[in-house]
Amino acid sequence: MRPLWRALADAQVPRGRAALGVLTGTAALGSAVGLAAVAAWLIARAAGMPSPADLAIAAVVVRFFGIGRGLFRYLERLASHDTALRGVVSLRVRVYERLAAAPAARVLPLSRGQIMARLGADIDAVGDAVVRGLIPAAVAVLVSGIAVAIAAALVPVAGLVLAACLLIAGVGAAALTLRSARAAATLGVRAEAEVTERALAAIESAPEHRVWGTSAQALAELDEAESESARAHEATARPAALAAAVQALAAGAALVGSIAIAVTHAQDGLIGPTTAAVVALLPLAAFEAVGAVPAATLQVFRSAEAARRIEELAPVGPAHAQDRSGDPTPAAVRIEARGLRVAWPGVAPTRPVSFTVDPGEVVAVVGPSGIGKTTLLATIAGALEPAAGQALIDGRPSLEADLGTIVAITAEDAHLFGTTVLENLRVARGDVSPEEALDALAGVGLAPWVEALPEGLDTVIGSGGGTVSGGERRRLLLARALLAPQPAALIDEPGEHLDADGRQALRAALAGLRTQGRSVVIVTHDLALLDAADRTVTLDD
Amino acid sequence: MRPLDPRLVARIGPARRYVLITAGLGLATACAIALQALVISRALAPVLAPSPLTEDGLGWLGTLVPVGARELATALGWLAAIVAVRVVLVWVQERLAHRAGVAVVADLRRRVVEHAARLGPRWAASGEGTAVTTTATRGLDGLLPYFVRYLPQLLLACTVTPLMLLLVLDLDWISAAIIAATVPLVPLFMVLIGLLTRDRSARHLAAMERLAARTLDLITGLPTLKALGRERGPASRIRDLGDAQRRATMGSLRIAFLSGMVLELLTTLAVALVAVTLGFRLVYGEVSIETALAVLVLAPEIYLPVRNVGTHFHASADGLAAADAAFEVLETPLIASGGDRPAPSLAGATLSVEGLTVLTPDGRRRAPDTLSFDAAPGRITALVGPNGDGKTTALLALMGLLDADAGQIHARSAEGTTALVDVDAESWSTQFAWVPQRPDLGVEGRTMSLGERERAALARALDADRPVLVLDEPTAHLDQASRAAVVAQITGAAAAGSTVIVATHEPELVAAADAVVAVEGAREVAS
Repeated sequence: MRPLWRALADAQVPRGRAALGVLTGTAALGSAVGLAAVAAWLIARAAGMPSPADLAIAAVVVRFFGIGRGLFRYLERLASHDTALRGVVSLRVRVYERLAAAPAARVLPLSRGQIMARLGADIDAVGDAVVRGLIPAAVAVLVSGIAVAIAAALVPVAGLVLAACLLIAGVGAAALTLRSARAAATLGVRAEAEVTERALAAIESAPEHRVWGTSAQALAELDEAESESARAHEATARPAALAAAVQALAAGAALVGSIAIAVTHAQDGLIGPTTAAVVALLPLAAFEAVGAVPAATLQVFRSAEAARRIEELAPVGPAHAQDRSGDPTPAAVRIEARGLRVAWPGVAPTRPVSFTVDPGEVVAVVGPSGIGKTTLLATIAGALEPAAGQALIDGRPSLEADLGTIVAITAEDAHLFGTTVLENLRVARGDVSPEEALDALAGVGLAPWVEALPEGLDTVIGSGGGTVSGGERRRLLLARALLAPQPAALIDEPGEHLDADGRQALRAALAGLRTQGRSVVIVTHDLALLDAADRTVTLDD
Repeated sequence: MRPLDPRLVARIGPARRYVLITAGLGLATACAIALQALVISRALAPVLAPSPLTEDGLGWLGTLVPVGARELATALGWLAAIVAVRVVLVWVQERLAHRAGVAVVADLRRRVVEHAARLGPRWAASGEGTAVTTTATRGLDGLLPYFVRYLPQLLLACTVTPLMLLLVLDLDWISAAIIAATVPLVPLFMVLIGLLTRDRSARHLAAMERLAARTLDLITGLPTLKALGRERGPASRIRDLGDAQRRATMGSLRIAFLSGMVLELLTTLAVALVAVTLGFRLVYGEVSIETALAVLVLAPEIYLPVRNVGTHFHASADGLAAADAAFEVLETPLIASGGDRPAPSLAGATLSVEGLTVLTPDGRRRAPDTLSFDAAPGRITALVGPNGDGKTTALLALMGLLDADAGQIHARSAEGTTALVDVDAESWSTQFAWVPQRPDLGVEGRTMSLGERERAALARALDADRPVLVLDEPTAHLDQASRAAVVAQITGAAAAGSTVIVATHEPELVAAADAVVAVEGAREVAS
């Protein structure tokens, strides 16, 4: 649970608004309890055939509670959602800032899906803890307290019985639900992942199964995963069913006990008929609030898991030391690899390579996929420690702080933002002028493309905007690299989608970088491009 | 979204039993609750009545619970028994409820997978195919609440609510009239509110989704910004977008929660009205205390199923969207291709490819573009060229797994020449021993690394004794030593008479080939 509390503290959930949510929620369910109590009083009083005027106030109160439940519930839902949304906004900013300040070695390899899951769905889940977990739980405690107080004020022993039963219904159900949630989190999640994997494998590898006659086998494996998932459902249903039964039992026991106490007290003349009616009928409405406890427990459990995953991605802690204020950024640098072997932690390192790149030079790194070309770029940029040898910038080992100041990386899957063409180029440098942007676009052969766009540089592209083909995307990224202020450019070029035009654009971009006096390292599969480089380094052994 | 999707109901099949069991248990619970209301009124009436009770206030229903229940001991016995029954009912219901959904969802997913597999690699690789299969496989679990909660509650709303209303009618027709007049107001008002707010809520929802998408777009660009040293800027932009999104969301919630409020307002207010009316009628002796108590306890239970239907329908929304995606897959027609003649034996036949052209799923490129080559038995034919230019696609087309947009594939042997399009595709395909880039070797392959899987798949291909060996980058994930071994194995297979076709970047493998074919793609010229 601790990561959840830390996340909520981090989210700065506004306390006043949260309290308002609890208060209106209590008023809503309290209205239901009040309605039951006052209606019981009204009926009992009316049975004594008093003057109708004696019922007037009670009749008004009953109607008030009748309206209050719906009205307060509406206000509670608005208050709690607003609270949670505010928390979610703050938390998202906090986690983003922490992630932005995290070491590049942790940030660069993150996939879009990973970021989306953690900063999107998981942060929303932390917000859900407020709306569906904590506020309903607090309301359950308060409403139960109110019901117990009413009963205890009338007949103390009835209050005691009601309190005991509510406690069992709340705590017992929470404990059993937690057991069910754990089973679901281990067995259920694994089984579900297995089902998805088998299902997608059966679809994606369908041609292979057709050739080898294994289609039936692939479906049989899916069936097997489904039965495993059904078993997981059974395992989670068992404690959940017990929790529901415990709640029903506690509510029933409270009803039987209260009626016994009310009737015997009334028969002994200890209490009047109106008190007896209230004490006897109160339990019928008092258990609605604790009824929300299993769902609330489940939500808190899920939110805690989400908070744990967020913490794993972006741990709370002292900000990552990143000193970029030191030396002024040089206008030109020399990049050097000396017996450099690179690897992500836990992966076999590449064979050693040595090369130098002087300002205005282009070095091409070649080798088949998965051999570590991208890793090499990350190491040169200082994001990753060399596995062996040295990566040097102007003769000194490259540092984490060099990334973004001296070195810019254009990743193969770099992001095009859902904004205008110009703003997408300004990602490289904030003060790019429209003229500079057009120059850079012309440099990668995109001049006709941008002219054809409905609003030129101000056309929105990317998600939510006009679509960009794979080749246009690559060239936009190259234009971005041309505009970046860093003296060293590391470009990770995908081997695919490079047709003749694309190759020509890349050549032109490399020539542009050369005349700017930049030191360029480019990673490529495309052997046809090697003549555009001054030197070639192969990672293949 | 419809309240009852006939396509889903039609597929309930084996789960029908569990939906009915769940609804049956709900009905039994409702009966127990009704009985409990009668017992409570019997037990309390004597202590609340100003003078000893003479009449039976429960009318015809009084026969269900004997007047003897006015004695406390008897009443408590009845109540304890009813509570025990309710506890068991709840337990059994929660224990079995999920079975109503699990089987249907599994069955639906299996059909989707089977159908999608038959739709072929081109459909699966198209944007639509990937998106739809992902929703239809991953999202279908969201359908569980529909079968487990919503459908049984719908059945209950159609049975329990009228049944309880009949009970109240038997007790006191005026209260029954009040309730009967308000119950239809619930769906009426909800539909009305839905209609009146539709435009506004659609606008809010659209704004909310747009802002959410922009926030996520900004956030997912973090590695790119980091690589350019520009990661600090967007934090304040993320806060602004988030605040705007919060305002849009609250605007849409203010409307969305209205229908919930009306639901609660109508149902609770109706109960309050019933209570107040009963109170004043008691004063004038128009109704007995026993009757009044029974009606008071029963009134909220009449509305319960109606309220639950609303709640559970919203919980099923995601699942219903996934179900739509699933039906979209199932309704995509299969394209019949090929003839019904069995294919000739490909042993000793030369495979001839002429002008083979396949459009990429997005229709923007031709990969491969007018590819022609002959693959002769006993020889290694290597396909080379950049990734994405159609080497794998050419292999798929050659094996009859994918229909070409243009071009022909023939098998030429001493017996004559046969076109692939004229023969039964399966009898053609199963003569190939294929090693794909990422072989799926089933459950046993799961623990292997990609390299191990590739070697196992190659072993399967070499042992299969099929006339044509097709290898797609067989050495991509292997080290130097294994690569040499694999090249030796491939040359051995060719020497033994197999027709070998291999797509590769590997210089050693290209050097070992008898013929090298360059595969090239081209931009599709819009006609």
